[in-house]
Amino acid sequence: MSDSQELPQRGPADGAGADADAAVLLAHVARGDQIAFEEVYDLMAGPILGMVRGVVRDVAQSEEVMQEVLLDLWRTASRFDSSKGSAMAWVMTLAHRRAVDRVRSEQKSAERELRAASAQIDYDDVTEAVEATIDRERVRRCLRSLTDLQRESVTLAYYGSYSYSEVAGLLGVAVGTVKTRMRDGLIRLRDCLGVE
Amino acid sequence: MRRGQSDLHTLAGAYALDAVPDGDRARFERHLGRCEACAQEIRGLREATARLGASAAVRPRAELKTQALRAIARTRQLPPLTRDDAPARPGWRARPGGGRAVSRLRQRPWVPRLATALAVGFLAVAVGMGVLAIGARHQVAQDQDRGHAIAAVLNASDVIMLTARVTTGGNATVLESRHEHSLVFTASGLPALPPTRSYELWLMGPGGTRPAGMLPRPRAGMIGPMVVSGLAAGDRMGLTVEPAGGSARPTSAAILILRLAS
Repeated sequence: MSDSQELPQRGPADGAGADADAAVLLAHVARGDQIAFEEVYDLMAGPILGMVRGVVRDVAQSEEVMQEVLLDLWRTASRFDSSKGSAMAWVMTLAHRRAVDRVRSEQKSAERELRAASAQIDYDDVTEAVEATIDRERVRRCLRSLTDLQRESVTLAYYGSYSYSEVAGLLGVAVGTVKTRMRDGLIRLRDCLGVE
Repeated sequence: MRRGQSDLHTLAGAYALDAVPDGDRARFERHLGRCEACAQEIRGLREATARLGASAAVRPRAELKTQALRAIARTRQLPPLTRDDAPARPGWRARPGGGRAVSRLRQRPWVPRLATALAVGFLAVAVGMGVLAIGARHQVAQDQDRGHAIAAVLNASDVIMLTARVTTGGNATVLESRHEHSLVFTASGLPALPPTRSYELWLMGPGGTRPAGMLPRPRAGMIGPMVVSGLAAGDRMGLTVEPAGGSARPTSAAILILRLAS
């Protein structure tokens, strides 16, 4: 976890050859560096939009949410602390909360039920026809290593924006069981992906 | 608090998935402030959910970038939090003992796309050379082989990325596939050497240390990509400075030692 992360060096002489380092880029963004923001955009906009589309579905709304997230990122970059996780995790956490808020504020139960019905195919849906990443196949493989209940609990919550009690209702299992499966499932996913 | 600790603790998964209603969320976040193990667990689970989300990346329409750049140019930024401020983002709280451990070695499974871009760039160059260097078929074939070897590593299902600082300056990035028994090495910002010296790569394993190739001279500060094949279990990768022709065994202290995935 924190010890697998290197702190960005915030001196002006850093960054040489380390342009790949999103954490360093964020430190520059925090100082108002618009060029660094552009690099962060190139690195993060695709993952953000992909995830948000999985949650929000509507393309135009997803683009709006992505823009909100990027603006958030610009405004709050100074609050990012690389000792507490990777830059990508920080950004994706911001983005997922925004996306979930957007869906919940709709409060259109009919739409959400529709989403529930298709939640199982969400993941494949989302990952089709998009730019290839080395990561994708591994994430799929790791998702497959979860039990059905773990996988359903995780994907319904993550892409369906359901609370754990709603997931329990949808799957017809006890609330306590769903909480446990979400945790076990994510732990297994984390271990399978080799992230800490 | 009415609920027991262990019951609260099982909320970690739901919390990391943003699947906790507001009331529970506030309660869990108070708990996080007191439970370092829980905060640590949340950080790990957030890395996992982020990977889940990021793996579905799509390419945004080009106009969106222009819009985003325009928007930030007219938006004020928040100052950093000071010590006295409450943490803005629960789940990212400071460790009381200071979790500031710094490792030279990072696994950054996110970033392979950058390396892919790099390799694609290399392939493009190799292809370009195929067009230009009509008389140099042998060179082209070699470049194509190398491009192919790089592609094999990058497309391996188990590829991982390691980055490290070189002690004398600069950064090394390695993409490794155990399955392919190969790695792709690139570096940037390494100090220039006199003509009589060169950088040499090594594989260091239980069976001894073997030379793994001389690094080419940097171009615009960048070196590689270079393919190293024949990785064995327990191997580490080392980098030393050697006489220009290379050595059969290291003759100076390693300026980089990278523990490879086993």
